[in-house]
Amino acid sequence: MIERIARPDEVRRWPGSIPVSHRYTPGVAGQAFLETLRDRGVILGSRCDRCRYTYVPARLFCERCFAELAADVEVGPAGVLRSFAIGFVGVEGEPLESPLTLGLVQLDGADACLLHLVLDHSDEPLEIGRRVEVVVKPAGERTGSILDIEGFRPVEG
Amino acid sequence: MGAGMTRFMRRAQETGKELAWEASRAALESCELTLDAVDAVCLTSAPDAFDGVHMKGEYLSDGAGAFGRPFIRTYVGGGSGVFTAIQGWYTVASGMADVVLVVAEEKMSSTQPHPQAAFLTIFDNVLERPLGPNLLWIFALEMNRYMSAYGLDKRDIAAVAVKNKRNAADHPAALLGRSDITVEDVLASETLAWPVQRLDVSPVSDGAVALVLASEEAAERITDRPVWIQGVGWNLDTAYWTNRDLVFPEYVRNAARAAYAMAGVTEPRKQIHIAEPYDPFDYKELHHLEGLMLFDPGTAPEAARDGVLNRDGDLPSCPSGGLLGVGNPIAAAGLMKVAELFWQLRGEAGARQVPGSPERGVAQAWGDLMQVGTVVVLGNEGGPPTTATRLPDSPTPPASTPGHPLTEAEFRGATGAVEDAVDARYAWDAGVAISRFLGGLREGRILGRECRGCERVLVPPRMFCERCFRGTDAWVEVEPTGVVQTFSICHVSWDMKPLETPEIPAVIAIDGSSGGFLHVLGEVDPQEVRVGMAVEAVWKPVAERTGSILDIAYFRPVRGGAP
Repeated sequence: MIERIARPDEVRRWPGSIPVSHRYTPGVAGQAFLETLRDRGVILGSRCDRCRYTYVPARLFCERCFAELAADVEVGPAGVLRSFAIGFVGVEGEPLESPLTLGLVQLDGADACLLHLVLDHSDEPLEIGRRVEVVVKPAGERTGSILDIEGFRPVEG
Repeated sequence: MGAGMTRFMRRAQETGKELAWEASRAALESCELTLDAVDAVCLTSAPDAFDGVHMKGEYLSDGAGAFGRPFIRTYVGGGSGVFTAIQGWYTVASGMADVVLVVAEEKMSSTQPHPQAAFLTIFDNVLERPLGPNLLWIFALEMNRYMSAYGLDKRDIAAVAVKNKRNAADHPAALLGRSDITVEDVLASETLAWPVQRLDVSPVSDGAVALVLASEEAAERITDRPVWIQGVGWNLDTAYWTNRDLVFPEYVRNAARAAYAMAGVTEPRKQIHIAEPYDPFDYKELHHLEGLMLFDPGTAPEAARDGVLNRDGDLPSCPSGGLLGVGNPIAAAGLMKVAELFWQLRGEAGARQVPGSPERGVAQAWGDLMQVGTVVVLGNEGGPPTTATRLPDSPTPPASTPGHPLTEAEFRGATGAVEDAVDARYAWDAGVAISRFLGGLREGRILGRECRGCERVLVPPRMFCERCFRGTDAWVEVEPTGVVQTFSICHVSWDMKPLETPEIPAVIAIDGSSGGFLHVLGEVDPQEVRVGMAVEAVWKPVAERTGSILDIAYFRPVRGGAP
């Protein structure tokens, strides 16, 4: 049924792309979260009293019961490392000059975990359950971005 | 049971999931339910490329109320919004769920430089994209075919844009309502791809719509005034769009037949009181009214001209204001049509209310590569005999219309906004049939495949016949000549920039075949081009041919051929 391709040189591949880029604005809750991070250097979450759950970053609604939420809970700056991973290669598979450590951290007062880098842990092995704290850039360098947080740093306690 | 929607906006401050939640919450509140009552969630949203969010259904799921529930996202292009209502219907009808939340969301404003970019790959990557098409081509080619076949007057088609933008002036969620617009305004607007002008087209938008569907038993508990889904249907035509006669939407008629049969509608023109046909372009509403068998082919434009389709006319069509007036956040726009029927049949449409207590309506959408039709019939009668006392027709409070539009400056200056480009590149294989076809073009020959099952010669060729679903039988060489089936004169590029020299895309029906393909015309004054004109391929010099659709430089009129 399917013919053999007698002249393989006739099989052509057509290079192409979908020529789109995107601009994402952070939304109602995202904007409150980022502006507070920029202006005050603190992390805002949203509390749903009915579901007894505090989301981080802040959200406009509770996905469990659909209640409207406000960005009204300050969480952290310290918390507990719930998991971590160490990346040795980049997105194209290239080796990284220095490995990156990613951490999932449950900040004090939050139920949800926040994802960011783990900093300054090279002198001791990391362990799940370790106390860490948020390191925020100096006020003058913050722009209203998740990168206004430099990462998490282990602390005593 | 209930319906809710956000405003339709050029750029919403809300994220996609925030929009979905606003609409979903409004729908639940309209029937005094909470999320606890929802057994399953059906979601739709158009291509992931709009948002650059892969697995967008999963991304939107929390805003649609899917946490901890059976959840599915479906997508059939522009037909998605109405299809999701169908999917909600069969999720209930199958016994899977008693109460289903149906959600449609679209956020097109993220796409740069223009949402059209996300549509480019709906064209065949090997045979069509090298020609530099843009989405307007398809609509312009179909519109011209429709106008030429019936000798239609553009004024009558423009009357649809006028009607819908005027209707939308009464819609609290509308983006482009205009109570003072006239046919002259439409005819004087910028020509994008002749015959399509700026005001013939619906606007790209952000927005969301949600419905609550319930089984007969659950409905009795929830409301005394249910609106019933009486019939559903959907249908697909061939994806080889240049192989179809674009003059009539056969797939819409097929879908409507199925929906009418289920609803017991035998005389649609008498038994349907209100219509919400899909109107991304003004001519599409007319095309679809004909596909829905509400008008004979070619006669809907005169109905538009004579006011038959007005809100107080004999067959009100798009009383919501439609996509042309309310806006076109693609998937959400389709579901908005079903929501409008719900409000109209309940007598809750406020200033948009169609007089005379309509009892049955039809909503329809269309999409994919212009070949899917989705149809839902809603009515006041249905379900088990009701013993509940029907409430008097006192309208419930008007639906709230949440959503915060951003200006262009606010959009560009928003705190925390992130620019991103999906860095994905592709290599598309031509495949078995098209490789051979391209090899033929390099030799200056047009090749087709013969199907002895349906006695067609297929151009472009394929190794299987999609009608007979059998392998095709033999290669045949056809003539490098053909007839212009339809054409457009396009003045803008895919990212909506003006072109210095207009292009003339055309569908060429190739002589000796049952099909044809998309190409461009040359060596001709655009004003001289006619549907039915005999044309011939102009080949590039042999040394410049590479085995590409561009080995044909263009088609030109046959000298001394039929005008």
